[in-house]
Amino acid sequence: MTNTEFYEKASAYAAKMGCEGCETYFGAGESFEVNANAGEIDRYSVSREAGVSVRVSFGGKQGYAYTERMSEPERLVDRAIDNAKCIETDDLHPMQKRCAYQAVASEKSALADMDEQARIALTKRMEQAALAADGRVQRVIYCSTIYESGRVAIRNTNGLEAERSSDVSIIFVMPSVKDGDEVQTGLAFRMGADAADAEDCAKEAVQDALGKLGGRAVPSGAYRVLFRPYAFSDLLMAFAPMFSADEAQKGRSLLAGKEETKIASGIVTLTDDPFDPVAPRAFDGEGTPCVCKSVIEKGELRTLLHNLKTAKRAGVESTGNASRRSAAATVGVAPAVFRIEPGETTAEEMVGQLGNGLIITDLEGLHAGVDAVSGDFSLKAAGFLVEDGAVVRPVSGVTAAGNFIEMMKSVSALGSDLKYALPQRGYYASPSVLVEKLTIAGD
Amino acid sequence: MIKETTAQAVLLEAKRSGADYAEIFLEDTESTQIEMLDGKVESANYARSCGAGVRVLRGTQSAYAYCADIGEQALMETARAAAAALGDAKYAPSGEVSFAVKRYGTKMERPFDSIGNADRVALMRKGALAAKSVSGEVTQALVRYIDVLQRVTIISTDGVFSFDERPRTRVYIQAVAMKDGEAQTGVFGPGCGLGFEAYSDKIDVEEAGRTAGNIAVTMLHAPECPAGFLPVVIDGGFGGVIFHEACGHSLEATAVGRGNSVFCDKLGTKIAADCVSAVDDGTLPGEWGSIHIDDEGTPGQRNLLIENGVLKGYLIDKLGSRRMGMPVTGSSRRQGYMFAPTSRMTNTFICEGSDDEEEMIASMAEGLFAKKMGGGSVNPSTGEFNFSVNEGYWVKNGKIVSPVRGATLIGKGSEILKKIDRVGPRVWMAPGMCGSLSGSVPTNVGQPRIRVDGITIGGKGGAIE
Repeated sequence: MTNTEFYEKASAYAAKMGCEGCETYFGAGESFEVNANAGEIDRYSVSREAGVSVRVSFGGKQGYAYTERMSEPERLVDRAIDNAKCIETDDLHPMQKRCAYQAVASEKSALADMDEQARIALTKRMEQAALAADGRVQRVIYCSTIYESGRVAIRNTNGLEAERSSDVSIIFVMPSVKDGDEVQTGLAFRMGADAADAEDCAKEAVQDALGKLGGRAVPSGAYRVLFRPYAFSDLLMAFAPMFSADEAQKGRSLLAGKEETKIASGIVTLTDDPFDPVAPRAFDGEGTPCVCKSVIEKGELRTLLHNLKTAKRAGVESTGNASRRSAAATVGVAPAVFRIEPGETTAEEMVGQLGNGLIITDLEGLHAGVDAVSGDFSLKAAGFLVEDGAVVRPVSGVTAAGNFIEMMKSVSALGSDLKYALPQRGYYASPSVLVEKLTIAGD
Repeated sequence: MIKETTAQAVLLEAKRSGADYAEIFLEDTESTQIEMLDGKVESANYARSCGAGVRVLRGTQSAYAYCADIGEQALMETARAAAAALGDAKYAPSGEVSFAVKRYGTKMERPFDSIGNADRVALMRKGALAAKSVSGEVTQALVRYIDVLQRVTIISTDGVFSFDERPRTRVYIQAVAMKDGEAQTGVFGPGCGLGFEAYSDKIDVEEAGRTAGNIAVTMLHAPECPAGFLPVVIDGGFGGVIFHEACGHSLEATAVGRGNSVFCDKLGTKIAADCVSAVDDGTLPGEWGSIHIDDEGTPGQRNLLIENGVLKGYLIDKLGSRRMGMPVTGSSRRQGYMFAPTSRMTNTFICEGSDDEEEMIASMAEGLFAKKMGGGSVNPSTGEFNFSVNEGYWVKNGKIVSPVRGATLIGKGSEILKKIDRVGPRVWMAPGMCGSLSGSVPTNVGQPRIRVDGITIGGKGGAIE
């Protein structure tokens, strides 16, 4: 059964069962992944997947059901109606009408036109380059090439018909280096148009690992901190739920009701840019046309992120931020491409501005050590000690603790070195960010 | 659901490029998830995931292909895709695998398809009310319920032809306490590998709600945890996450078999203090991390990992077994058909010791009592781990003087294990979802109350008087 046939059967049956509305969200994808180890491809995975979610509106309530068996539209609608019947909130969640979308163009994906043999050769070359980069490279733990393409199609009884496709090219490598008894690992990746730069990627990963050798803790205390772009992008990802109107309306965000007030330093502008060439899209998870907007402009909160449900409740327009983590997930709220706008200072100049303090390059424990409700975080950190504007030595075995909101108010400089983090739950980008005070636990 | 003749044909197809092992994994999983906020159901979702994966091995090379379709034609195509990854299909393998057909499964007294959403919602409401009943400061209670029935068929050229039915269910309660623009959360999420009867036999949702509410309120009134390097007492249950991160992941063949673990070549040597013994036991009935068979069809077993401080074993899957030249341990797991299986933990815990639970706090000059732990992570190559403390208390001169919030513990696994100086007499476990190469799988962590004589405590508070 095609997804169009599935929609037609599901919507006809839903109408017969008394639903006011019915929507199908079809997701399909293909993926390719290889990993090289000691000159061989030791792990190889290819896949084809497809699934469809039905959302019905029944008695003013919404229910969901998802399946990968395309043969059972009626059974799925029954499940969705069952689920709608147990909803107890009175929130209205309208379905989108037919919309016109603007054309979007993504940057060329380096792996798209490469055949399998070329991708395998690229992966092996990257491992070789990492092994050859320095005598202290012990082995390569991961050396992977990933190419994924996907399609989404949304149809509903309001006349919505929206389809988009996207693809992702990623290479990443994690070497380990050994010096005496000490082992360190490094990581580097390339994506999109840069995903064929295997040699550069390998060298960067080895440099990352070597830079950590000899790292040790610093005395516990308050430090000025210069976050490098990936570390700050990670924090931004962890605290993105604070900007969700859904979380705010549920009493789970300290940014609730803070629109038009100052929540960050005057130099901070945070953009949600669905048209950023890194991963452009014309519509969101419920078919609403996407818009590019400042979420924080010069320190002031302009808007929270909305889908149709939160917008209706707040009496505003949707910001086009309805999300579906996968076809199996229900509609939520998430940024498209969340980007802290860069400043003018180069990455090197920022070390001089830091003067005395810590550079943080890596944060770990993000799925446990952050609380998006309170804004508090306490995370394992690594980086470098800076004295009198010069890097003195690597630092490891410390934690960095603070509060995201307080920290955003103390941002005193932004670098010109904007970088996009490895996409995990969406796309996050940041330059280097200098903050005035974090508590570091070490010796 | 799959005929033996089809299985034979698919396995032969998969071996056409010279594989010496082929395996089919068929999955049909149904789950129901409901979310309740403030006593009202916000969303309800049902999902059925259905697909197949074919894996082939040639020596230590592996290839995996999967497809969201379990029809015969799709299986043959998937087998061809997996075979093509190892090279040209230039062989014509023949011969039939002689299958030993086996059926496994947990017998549910109240199967999930026999209960309605009304039963689920009534249960959730009890948890939400209990969380709010703790104090007027609990402003929000979020309850997430999930039940999952995973049905799998595992077939391999080793002769495995096994069916398994794996139910599991969990209630996760998060309470938010607020005062003067400050918010703190408390979470508790019991779960187990049974049907809905779990909620009359094994899991008390009201107690879970009260626990979450109490943590949130206690933390709301707690000062920030001081930072420093001090002794820490870690309670049982989810406290076992320290062993899971500091040691467990580094004993998985995924890390050991490739030389990426601090515990490589350490069998028979001392890696922990004398008072530390630990096991990974997949055979405990009805536990969250238990398995009848692993995802390669090997029956679950009790694996001794550490005995009186000496390393006794690793967690090994079939591919790891080839790399390491050691037998499999019933440890191969995966989230579902979208993942090739690899070595993982099941129910992993430090065994009981003989030290008094009260004495280990009473004999501490200054330090932290970590009563409830949050999650954590580890880099197996370096052994460096981190995890967060959800409910902590500051100890001075042998007495608890104040709750403290926002603590994180970090360290190196190989060092921490040697610094354990007390192990209590009573073991208990708690469920978690463990993420790694083969996806997210349910695992239990556990331990008795233990003490670590010195660990880096991260926090942003000043000294506690």
